[in-house]
Amino acid sequence: MSTVDWKNYEPVLIPDIKDLHKIDVYEKNGGYEALKSVLKEKKKWPDPKSVVNEVKEANIRGRGGAGFNAGLKWSFMPPADGKPRYLACNGDESEPGTFKDRKLFEYNPHLFIEGALIAAYAMEITTIYVYIRGEYKVYIDMMDKAIQDAYDKGYIGKNILGSDYSVDFYVHSGAGAYICGEETSMLESLEGKRGYPRVKPPFPAQRGLWGRPTTINNVETLSHVPAVIKNGADWFKGIGAENHPGPFLYGISGHVNRPGVYELPSGIPVLDLIHEVAGGIRNGKKLKAVIPGGSSTPVLRADQLDGITMDADSLRTVGSMVGTAGMVVMDEDTDMIDVLWRISHFYHHESCGQCTPCREGTGWLEKILLKIKNGDGEVKDLDLLLDITTQMEGRTICALADAAAWPVRHTINRFRDEFEARCKKSVHALA
Amino acid sequence: MPQVIIDGQTYEFEGQHKLLQFIQDLGKEVPFFCYHPSMSIPANCRQCLVKVGQFVKDRETGEYETGENGEKVIRWFPKLQTSCNIDVADDMVVHTQETDELVRRAQKDNLEFILINHPLDCPICDQAGECPLQIQTYKYGPEGSRFEVKKVHKPKRVQLGPRVILDAERCINCTRCTRFTQEISKTDQLTITSRGDKNYPTTAPGREFDDPYSMNTVDICPVGALTSADFRFRARVWEMNQTPSIDITNGKGCNIDLWTRDNLVLRITPRFNEAVNDHWMPDEGREAYKLFNENRVSKPHQKLDGEQIFSSWNNAIATFNEQIENHDKNEILIVGSPHASVEENYSLSKFANLLGLNQPVFTTHSEEGKGDGFLITDDLAPNTNGCRLLGFTELDDKALKKEVKKSALVVLLSDHFVDRGILDESDLDEKFVIHFATNNSETTKTADLVIPITTAAEHAASYVNVDGRIQRTLPAKETKYTNRRLDLEMSEGRLDRYGTNFDNWVTEDNKVDCLPLWRFITETAENSGLDLTLSSGREILEEIAGQFKEFESVSYQSMDESNGIQLNLDAEKRSDKVK
Repeated sequence: MSTVDWKNYEPVLIPDIKDLHKIDVYEKNGGYEALKSVLKEKKKWPDPKSVVNEVKEANIRGRGGAGFNAGLKWSFMPPADGKPRYLACNGDESEPGTFKDRKLFEYNPHLFIEGALIAAYAMEITTIYVYIRGEYKVYIDMMDKAIQDAYDKGYIGKNILGSDYSVDFYVHSGAGAYICGEETSMLESLEGKRGYPRVKPPFPAQRGLWGRPTTINNVETLSHVPAVIKNGADWFKGIGAENHPGPFLYGISGHVNRPGVYELPSGIPVLDLIHEVAGGIRNGKKLKAVIPGGSSTPVLRADQLDGITMDADSLRTVGSMVGTAGMVVMDEDTDMIDVLWRISHFYHHESCGQCTPCREGTGWLEKILLKIKNGDGEVKDLDLLLDITTQMEGRTICALADAAAWPVRHTINRFRDEFEARCKKSVHALA
Repeated sequence: MPQVIIDGQTYEFEGQHKLLQFIQDLGKEVPFFCYHPSMSIPANCRQCLVKVGQFVKDRETGEYETGENGEKVIRWFPKLQTSCNIDVADDMVVHTQETDELVRRAQKDNLEFILINHPLDCPICDQAGECPLQIQTYKYGPEGSRFEVKKVHKPKRVQLGPRVILDAERCINCTRCTRFTQEISKTDQLTITSRGDKNYPTTAPGREFDDPYSMNTVDICPVGALTSADFRFRARVWEMNQTPSIDITNGKGCNIDLWTRDNLVLRITPRFNEAVNDHWMPDEGREAYKLFNENRVSKPHQKLDGEQIFSSWNNAIATFNEQIENHDKNEILIVGSPHASVEENYSLSKFANLLGLNQPVFTTHSEEGKGDGFLITDDLAPNTNGCRLLGFTELDDKALKKEVKKSALVVLLSDHFVDRGILDESDLDEKFVIHFATNNSETTKTADLVIPITTAAEHAASYVNVDGRIQRTLPAKETKYTNRRLDLEMSEGRLDRYGTNFDNWVTEDNKVDCLPLWRFITETAENSGLDLTLSSGREILEEIAGQFKEFESVSYQSMDESNGIQLNLDAEKRSDKVK
């Protein structure tokens, strides 16, 4: 079904170049050329708007999970009025199964920095923040160093590369909250407040950081920008799946022989990804289930995967999502009740507690699942779990309640037999 | 005019409105917890969900699109919306729980969530009876619980500050209290700690919640999580009478409610008045309930051989008249008080005028720098402007002392000058001192004749605040000489209506043996043959309105209609201009 030729794909985000994280090496390999082009080639890029249009045309769908066209998001920014406006780069990746941004921080920080600078220029933004999860202490230090190097070389700061465009770049460390990866609570956190998601509207493009227009992009999303500027939107659109184009950083973990981050085009068959890219299931076991894009995306049974590719359209047909492309592979020995309990434990722990359905619902889900896991559950508890998920979904400020509800609903629905087998028979006689 | 359709009814509107407030203003209801009209809208309780849609208009022609049956097509929001933070818009269609099953279901689901970790200890909770959670659960909540696992446990009985106690298990995290300290009192003393279902409001480590407005958080808490250290476990709300009144502890005159049971004021809460105090009041004003209950002067006292003893009212009246007669008019000093009402001060001055005595003097009671520009004022008395408007001579502390020294008979009203250090006991040694007082103090001890008078909780009288607004009180507790069933201004609670003197909650001792000042003066006048009748606060104010330009438009009726009346403090100047 898929025609994506991934075997001959040349990586652009994390190419196999030694010491690419050093600015000299990055420059030698064509680094910061896109930024120079945008700032200096006035014929090609007459104004910042032209950069926005090119990126919009490329259809870089946000790699943070929501999959929204990045260029379109940029175009929502109101016209510059001389007052501050911000670009906030989301590097808080905290969802279980997702570990792709860290690869960028570690191997190719300057690519991300360049992408962010082009984005800032395109939206006439003069301050960039990158919010990195606090557990990534090592990478925070690496980013600090990379940004300092870029300052020293004149890529960031006053009148960069001799143009009249000035920009500042700051690293902000998270403090261990998954919710701060939600774009508006990340803004709250940047402002030094408690990480509570904000009510939308107003959207960040109208009132974001400190009440000023702000665009929030995932780190990987921004890292695609330099290549789009260099090679054009059509090049980008030609890679991978039609409606979800471009390279992906697949983070594959779980029961595979070669877990890790792989840069490949979107739209690869899920089974190819598991069996060929990641080297197949460990110890020759059989595949049981796959979580395609981080713990909040609904789990898929092995028998659902035939012909399914890693892009939004294909995964939607079997009821899942591409999310962050952080794939968790599970073999036949996996206890799905344990998996689901662990996921629910995570969302219970990470719910910020602002909205009632999420605050109370996540805890209730986990407690019932723990009861089932311990062998004390009844079949009626499964239906209660499903009820709770409908009560939570779509009734909160941010999507954490949805992210907590979906895995429960879909795992139970897709592995109902396994769950029922673990439950006690109902002690009540049927009337 | 733009129109909105709510539950099938069309309403016109102008300007900006939030949907929840708009629905409430129509007299309809949508349940909610976190919304408060005077604070920001976090939309976090998710209780006020409604279904919202919009008529679809053709973009080019501007015409409404219609369906097969000719009805306008409605585009519904894909999710239910919180009505608290959504703006009412033209062509909006709203379904509340009254007409929509999905909305009803969502509100019920939300209450189920709120209640799973709530301790459900209403029988021992102070909030019961006035608890939005309790009320709305009965109206919109589920009938039982499907929660069969362990509830979350959190700190209980936490003394957050000197006046507020937290039960974190009852908390539903509406953040009203934290928003209050951020937005209204601006001390930022409270914040939410921890995440998810473990979170609850608290202070920074090692800090006290000693905000001078801290007890407002108790009022706005929609559950029993924050309770008053003073009032908790004192009374159930349905046992008390609620009487509107005015705060008399400072010059602002915050509108309040007095909550009484068995003729004791048990607590004071703010009453909404946009022009004065909004929904708030300072903690100090709430402490004033003690003034009404404790240490009251009951029965007249007279000094005999240097010792104060109980006297009778007849004896007190006779002594009073005797002393006035026996002294030279210029030796008599009458001191009015900003702590007493307009009516009391007027009664005293009218009596003085009839006898040809000097016009009363008064001295202000204020503490510089105490005011905070919000509801706490430098002025510690509720009626300073009232004394000024009645034309009393304003003396400073030293001048007052000098005047007292010159006189032989001193009549004091309410002010406790010895306690305040303005007069020494020695200043009053050789004089005859008559003190109209509500509470015992060092000053009443030095007086030769102490006449007990009613407090703001026992009479209807008016006070002019620092901004020149005149507002009035209503009697909330009975004296020996008043009766709830006869005085139509008094509220009558369940215990009053259905109780008898044989019930164990009735204590006659809580009724103080005192009279309104005007009543005492009327009786004194009668005794000495003066033609003077002052029957009630209402009539006295009518008399004042006839005599003083500033009070022209004022009556109890008009004050009740608009929650007080703004007086023009420069009325004299204004009338000059008119001339």
